[in-house]
Amino acid sequence: MKHFILFLCILFSASSFVEAQNSKEEKFTLSGFVQDSTSGEYLIGSTVYIKEIQKGTNTNAYGFFSLTLPAGDYNLILAYIGFKEQVISIKLDKDISMKFQMKPNVIETKEVEIRAERKDRNVESTEMGRVQLDVDMIKALPALFGEVDILKSIQLLPGVQSAGEGNSGFYVRGGGPDQNLILLDEAVVYNASHLFGFFSVFNSDAVKNVTLTKGGMPAQYGGRLASVLDISMKEGNNQKLHGEGGLGYISSRFTLEGPIQKNKSSFIISARRTFIDLFLREPFVKKGSALDGNSYFFYDLNAKVNYTLSQKDRLFISGYFGRDVFNFKSADTGFKVKIPWGNATTSLRWNHLFSDKLFMNSSLIFTDYKFEFGAQQQEFDFRIFSGIRDYSAKVDFNYFPNILHNVKFGMNYIYHRFTPTNAYAKSGDVVFDLGDIKRLYAHDAAVYVNDEWDITEKWRVNAGLRGTMFTQVGAFTRYIEDPSFEGKIIDSVVYDQGEVVKSYAHIEPRLSMRYELTRTSSLKASFTQNYQYIHLTSFGSVSLPTDVWVPSTDKVKPQFGTQYALGYFRNFKENEYETSVEVYYKDMQNLIEYREGASPDQDIKNNPDNNFVFGKGYSYGAEFFVKKTKGRFSGWVGYTLAFTNRQFDDLNNGAEFPAKYDRRHDVSVVGIYELNKKWTFGATWVYATGDALTLPQERYFQSNGPPVEVTSSGGLNFTNYFSILSGYGKRNDFRQTPYHRFDISATLHVQKQKKFKSEWVFSIYNLYGRMNPYFIYFNVSGNSVDGNFGIQAKQVSLFGFIPAVTYNFKF
Amino acid sequence: MKKLLLYIFPIAFLWMISSCEKDISVDLPRPESKVVVDGYVEAGLPPYILLSRNAGYFDPIDTAALNNNSETGAVIIISDGITTETMTEIDTVIDGNVVKGIYTALGMIGTPGRTYTIDITTLKGEKLSSSTKLDLPVSLDSTWFKIQDGKDSLGFVWANLDDPDSLNNCYRWFAKRIGKDDFFIAPFGSTFEDKFINGKKFDFAYNRGMIANSDAEDDNNDEAGFFKKGDTIVVKFCSVDRSTFEFWRDAENQIGNNGSPFAVPSNIKSNIKGGLGLFASYTATYDTVYAPL
Repeated sequence: MKHFILFLCILFSASSFVEAQNSKEEKFTLSGFVQDSTSGEYLIGSTVYIKEIQKGTNTNAYGFFSLTLPAGDYNLILAYIGFKEQVISIKLDKDISMKFQMKPNVIETKEVEIRAERKDRNVESTEMGRVQLDVDMIKALPALFGEVDILKSIQLLPGVQSAGEGNSGFYVRGGGPDQNLILLDEAVVYNASHLFGFFSVFNSDAVKNVTLTKGGMPAQYGGRLASVLDISMKEGNNQKLHGEGGLGYISSRFTLEGPIQKNKSSFIISARRTFIDLFLREPFVKKGSALDGNSYFFYDLNAKVNYTLSQKDRLFISGYFGRDVFNFKSADTGFKVKIPWGNATTSLRWNHLFSDKLFMNSSLIFTDYKFEFGAQQQEFDFRIFSGIRDYSAKVDFNYFPNILHNVKFGMNYIYHRFTPTNAYAKSGDVVFDLGDIKRLYAHDAAVYVNDEWDITEKWRVNAGLRGTMFTQVGAFTRYIEDPSFEGKIIDSVVYDQGEVVKSYAHIEPRLSMRYELTRTSSLKASFTQNYQYIHLTSFGSVSLPTDVWVPSTDKVKPQFGTQYALGYFRNFKENEYETSVEVYYKDMQNLIEYREGASPDQDIKNNPDNNFVFGKGYSYGAEFFVKKTKGRFSGWVGYTLAFTNRQFDDLNNGAEFPAKYDRRHDVSVVGIYELNKKWTFGATWVYATGDALTLPQERYFQSNGPPVEVTSSGGLNFTNYFSILSGYGKRNDFRQTPYHRFDISATLHVQKQKKFKSEWVFSIYNLYGRMNPYFIYFNVSGNSVDGNFGIQAKQVSLFGFIPAVTYNFKF
Repeated sequence: MKKLLLYIFPIAFLWMISSCEKDISVDLPRPESKVVVDGYVEAGLPPYILLSRNAGYFDPIDTAALNNNSETGAVIIISDGITTETMTEIDTVIDGNVVKGIYTALGMIGTPGRTYTIDITTLKGEKLSSSTKLDLPVSLDSTWFKIQDGKDSLGFVWANLDDPDSLNNCYRWFAKRIGKDDFFIAPFGSTFEDKFINGKKFDFAYNRGMIANSDAEDDNNDEAGFFKKGDTIVVKFCSVDRSTFEFWRDAENQIGNNGSPFAVPSNIKSNIKGGLGLFASYTATYDTVYAPL
């Protein structure tokens, strides 16, 4: 903490020193918000650049920027993906604060682009491993079943891997699925997928901006080791009422947005639902068939309103609610299952401008994830549930003392309530003793300061410190196991409500810098350290809704990650082509897995962490990226070479093993071609090294029960059948065949009336029908009794050639 | 019940998979040779140990292979805490074939409450050891047959158990239809512990188990998994030690999880030091259930 305050003092004295140095010249501040002229949406991360001094900034998450400059005449350049670049002449002889409107690019105008010699953001900034994705571009890419998916588009970036065929889960630079922080309007989304990972919870119609940070994480973010995916919802058109929607194979969507009071306040409401369940019943599914009795659906609701209270104050309220519901009913055995799960988030945010140099946002956030499983069969009733709920408050400041500095500081606090696997069961009137409802509580706080500082023309640093503190508090019962009898509780320690169980405090340094080699090329380096205090533990080999979040406790130490990265960035042809090479090395401590053979029931009437084992990991790799940013044809090629390993004393006999997501080669090729006003084409090709698997290597016999029986004559009779059991080899020692796939899409834009636009999106997933491995299993036929035993390895593929059509409309 | 979760997801999932399945050949490394203990102490009976060796995953399995894999000539010393004996290897006829590698100590009878330890030295000099405690019997309060809702003549066997008020009781259930089954068959989920039911008296039911991939007619038609009106069923309900429970819990999970893309492959927890397998203990009580016509 002392270090942190010291750092703050140095930082502020340094910046005031710089200011004092230049105080001979009179200075004024040019500040404001950058908006989309057609909808009033504030643009996040747009470039604001002063031609004369070749310096600039980017708008923050609320579209705000501030530049303090000597008095003079300037050309201000505004640039943003998908919008026309603008040059505005400004006479700066007083402080100026205004709103800037940008017009979206229209395809048919072959605009004469003003080639203001601005440096491109990817070369100029200190940012490494940070990508902002354009939602319109995501929509033009081919999608599985035509269902546009933000998380799957992210997987096309170098350093980001798909969690598997058709899966929206992702792994970043060798990190686990719980090491990604996914934010929707600042609220954490704990389980970002529907239908066992096949679709993400983000309805792209309601999303404005998607930014992924996979390295060089700035100090305002924390709590996860691998990445931050920051998703902003649209604010709603504050000019006119506007709707859009679509019909697809998987889901149908509808969004309505418009002004409440023109220019001052607006709303957006967006809904999405699947209709698979309507087809999983008669007449589509015959009674008694394999599908009979199944039903499944998911839905999402997004809503947001915002008010401009005054020139300096703005208020946002946004929320998300989504659920998956799976039902199964067997007419045969009377067996019934209902499994609902989903997220809910709410955020209330207030933007305030203390001055044209100091911007503040404060937020109150609620987030909740729940999973439930209920089964019934005759007299037997069984329920299992788990979840996590957070209440949090945060305040973030953005301070622009002069053009050389962009300072961010703030603090946040989260109160976590964890509900690890709890269960309830009864048979008839007898209620089984599955323990009291077990919850865990923790306070999670952080303070940070971060300064992006132009030290010289060539050197820029982004330095930050984050101080974090995590305290597990009661009510809590620590169960103590018999060391020689796993799962046998011999003692317990009870903590009262609010009593401190364990506290952790750490300082996390973050540093990244850029050295400009030429106008179009730069070298960057970064060093970051992160602590992760909450952990996701999975019984399965992939993320499932049953996965449970747990806090750091007296037994579970926070995960600790250190990442070093180095990058070379170079642009060609007036920023038409952006290229980069990044290399990284990442070290991870205190990683968590369930011990071998653990199953969910072992968490009941026990602390889940009694079933954990702890280890470490490291990963390293190189990422190559070439992107064409402008013109009718745009797209990119990304290649990642990566290595990631784990070592746990209690797994794999203590030997190092490749992580499940160790993927040597990963290639993505993405292209979009705008043929004319009517047609847009998209294509993607991906290639990835096969997944690492653990396969059996040996087999042995075991009598299935005591083999000796007393015969009626009093003799002994040897009589039994054998079970054939398997022994597994080294962990993740086997590789599946490589994964590759080519997808295409074509979008037909139709505009018959002025106010009504529609489009047909045709897409084909897996055009050449590659049978990619999804999993391998061993089919056992016959048995030892009949002497016809046989084993055959089978590979199951999930999605072959899949064409899809989606209809979208807008008014 | 705990296995429900592991099952439901694959089931939910199956309807999504459009039979894109093909045979592949997988090149697995040869395992190092290990001794497998298949040992039993059952109350009232002499202990039996079948010693064998592991095999490569794709090696053929038949009676000949069984014989080739059996481990003959080992020295096994068994103790029940009072007496110590060297087990003798006997030739046993199974399915008309003489099987080697079966050891017994006819002078020793399984007695509940005693702990049995074994020390094995193979011809090659490998050393293995284990121990198991023979628990006191816990008999079922009552057993009965009940027609399943929606069925005319098919149902499950129900039982009422009064679990003693002491933790760490573990059980295993077998059933055999007189005149129909050759063996006592353990249904899936045959073993359970009293962690959640300690000291409770409650009803529970089991479906009819079957031998893996059985080609018997009633294992492949509507009767599969059910007992039927007219059956005479002998229930063998056993108290087992914790190692036996853990071994069969893991073994059944392993068999059940084969092919599930969600399960983590894991090895079965064994109580054998220096090898694979299990040295099990069973204290059985028997009940006969008649399913009236």
